[in-house]
Amino acid sequence: MAFSLVINIVIFAILIAIPFLTNSYSAYQLGLYLLYGMVGQGIALCWGKGGFLPLGQALFFGIGAYISGKLLQGDIGWGIVLLVLLLSIIVPATIAALVGLLVFDRQIGSGPYFSLITLALSLLGYQLANSQVWLTGGFNGLTGISGLPGIDSYGNLYFFIVGALLLSTVFLVYLIRTPFGQMLEAIRENEERVQFLGIHTSWVKAVAFAISGAVAGLAGAFFAPHQGIVTPQVVGFILSAELVIWTAVGGRFGFIGPVIGAVAIGFLASGLRDSFAYWEVVVALVFVLVVLRMPGGLSGMSLSFFKRFFPNIFSREQAPRSKIIPAKQSILKPSLIFENVSVNIGPVSVLNELSFSIKSSGIHCLIGPNGAGKTSALNALTGKLSFNKGEIFWSDNSLKGVRPFRTPKIGIGRKLQVPSIFPNLSIRQNIDIALWVNRLRLNEFFSMSPYSWDLKLLDELQSSFLFLREDQELAGNLSVGQRQMLDFTMTVLAEPDLILLDEPCAGLSKGETEEMIEAISKLALSSGATFIIVEHDMQVVELLSEHVFVMHQGKMLAEGSLEEIRANKEVRAIYAGGSK
Amino acid sequence: MEALITFALNFIYSSATLALIVLGLAMVFGLLGVMNMAHGEFVMLGAYSAYVVQSLGLNFIWAVPISILVCVIVGWFMEWSIIRHLYKRPFDTLLATWGVAILIRKGVEVIFSRDYKSVNQVMPGTVDLFGITYPSYRLVLVAIILCLFTVLFLWYQKSKTGLRIKAMVQNPELASAVGIDTARLSTATFIIGVSFAGLAGVLLAPLVRVEPYIGLDYLLSSFFILIVGGLGTLEGLLIGSAVIGGSDALISTIFDKTAGYLSVLLISILFLWLRPNGIFSRH
Repeated sequence: MAFSLVINIVIFAILIAIPFLTNSYSAYQLGLYLLYGMVGQGIALCWGKGGFLPLGQALFFGIGAYISGKLLQGDIGWGIVLLVLLLSIIVPATIAALVGLLVFDRQIGSGPYFSLITLALSLLGYQLANSQVWLTGGFNGLTGISGLPGIDSYGNLYFFIVGALLLSTVFLVYLIRTPFGQMLEAIRENEERVQFLGIHTSWVKAVAFAISGAVAGLAGAFFAPHQGIVTPQVVGFILSAELVIWTAVGGRFGFIGPVIGAVAIGFLASGLRDSFAYWEVVVALVFVLVVLRMPGGLSGMSLSFFKRFFPNIFSREQAPRSKIIPAKQSILKPSLIFENVSVNIGPVSVLNELSFSIKSSGIHCLIGPNGAGKTSALNALTGKLSFNKGEIFWSDNSLKGVRPFRTPKIGIGRKLQVPSIFPNLSIRQNIDIALWVNRLRLNEFFSMSPYSWDLKLLDELQSSFLFLREDQELAGNLSVGQRQMLDFTMTVLAEPDLILLDEPCAGLSKGETEEMIEAISKLALSSGATFIIVEHDMQVVELLSEHVFVMHQGKMLAEGSLEEIRANKEVRAIYAGGSK
Repeated sequence: MEALITFALNFIYSSATLALIVLGLAMVFGLLGVMNMAHGEFVMLGAYSAYVVQSLGLNFIWAVPISILVCVIVGWFMEWSIIRHLYKRPFDTLLATWGVAILIRKGVEVIFSRDYKSVNQVMPGTVDLFGITYPSYRLVLVAIILCLFTVLFLWYQKSKTGLRIKAMVQNPELASAVGIDTARLSTATFIIGVSFAGLAGVLLAPLVRVEPYIGLDYLLSSFFILIVGGLGTLEGLLIGSAVIGGSDALISTIFDKTAGYLSVLLISILFLWLRPNGIFSRH
């Protein structure tokens, strides 16, 4: 942490010194590239941190520039300048938030839809800028823009730009370290998991996109007085594409990289664009190579260079867990009812009038041959699979049409079949996110205090699974068994009333299975929660289960104690391979 | 009345050309999971092939094989050098093909400059139809596209290759285990997909201004159609083309081009929000 702080201070010291070291024209040019770099920082927030790529970011930059250009025409005072800054932040942010909310709502992951919609928006902006002459001056653009009062556009305006860049850098670096930022990174890693933890992920992404729009708009506000003219090119897709290239080449995983990319390519381009016809072809080629071979870009390369020689300079100090949050006081009285639930996928009937109910807490096992519909039953229960017929109730809430991120709010926690963790985040980050999800108040998303949270249950889990104490280790480096344990830990940290575990012991060694079984039964005793465990390993079922359900071909075939199930002829028939 | 018929014919014509372009994109996206951001650039390459053929004084019909040749070479190279390595990483294919799109645009710009090129009408005559005179080239174009669709549909339904493709899409591992060369099949699918775009470019060339950036509009329109029509069905694709082509044509005629564009963009955003799997989804 200290090291990156030093790097940032050095960079900004150089930026401030540059007008005194070089001619004023270079500083003027640099000012423009720094503005582009700011837009790139917003792209890095969405793309590098959030995992979704906006391809039309010039739209927000251009909106800022047009607002600023329009209002700064004629005689102006500082009051208007303030208005310009406010509007050029708020307007783009609002547009971005709206688009984000609509587009992200039903689209999980990185998908192409968001990128293409933003590209289309930028094309629309370009058309509007050309056609709405009364507002934008049309093709010739807005001219006669006076600079800021008492500020020389070719002189000291540069320092204001550096100030704005400093502001956005500090803000973004802070933002990404808050629980909000961690949540955004977790969404990049595994959006579905974040949803099952109870976060409406489209909101997080939309807010991040809105912030990127605000940063771009602020940069645009400086563009107008800096250049003295605003033409439709500033909202266009060509600039949008260049912004993405600069961000990629400079490095999208940090907030200094995009600035480096914009400055480096900007200066190279101003020297080469006219004399070397293939310049833009070369830039496009470099972009493709960066995408394929060095996703971290220039800054990623230099970071790994530093890491090789000074492996410890980037390790962050962890905040001590000093504030114990109280455990949940009351637990819901279990009442789960499946009533004739049917799901068809194409011609295949996945669930066929499935009916059963659970009215007692403790551990219930759900078994059945492959394809019986066990996971589908859990999917229907948690909104991953929509059912066309029947009803599911959990303590009087109907779960028809429920969305996955709502289920944790009514006390349902779920571990997916494949261990779902956030591989590029540390164990500590994985745990923190699980600890936060259902407990953060809105303001705490943006504060550092949740880092100190501790939960008695966490201590217990950490003593069951010792590796969980290795805060810094990347979750991606864990073995399959450890991933299962981490996933289990994350699921139960929210203290759900109904805990759904889909094959928690799959891929575990014998010793690990024992550890897992012990942890589950311990938790069942101490929490009083209701468990539904899907399992194939009969040994696990034997050790854990008080009550067993057997599914076959989308229906409930039998239920009862393990002895009763073992004695059941129908169950024996399907497991022995006989036909029913 | 006459205005209405003209509008109806224009609507059929623009939907048909869009459907041809989106067919290629839908093949590559639906079958291979690759959102080819350079798809529009293949339309552009097709249009430039037509321009080159005409500047050389050759018969226009030569543009068809030449454009397909160009698309096959570029498409094969693209698949071989980039896409093939990214089949499991859809987000990276989006980025890489976006880079390739810029590369092709800039390359064409260097060779042909940014100026508009015009391709001469190959069939300047008109025909009288339902009491109005309509350019015959547009009618021929619609007919060609309908034939192509029928042939392709039958081929996909009946041929062994069609069956192999279906097998590959449903279960690539199993398909290759039973001896289907999925790598070659993917390459072929990709090349055929971009060749459709190239062919559409040739057919459209006499009707549009040819310049390096035309591909972008076609990419976005095709993409809107995919959103509305959903993936996987031919009906969806045709209805999507009709909805997008129709709204664009209608709103553009009543207001202006920008309003038309705005309307299709809004329709697409609303679809993404309310019917994320397209018009036929049973969600």
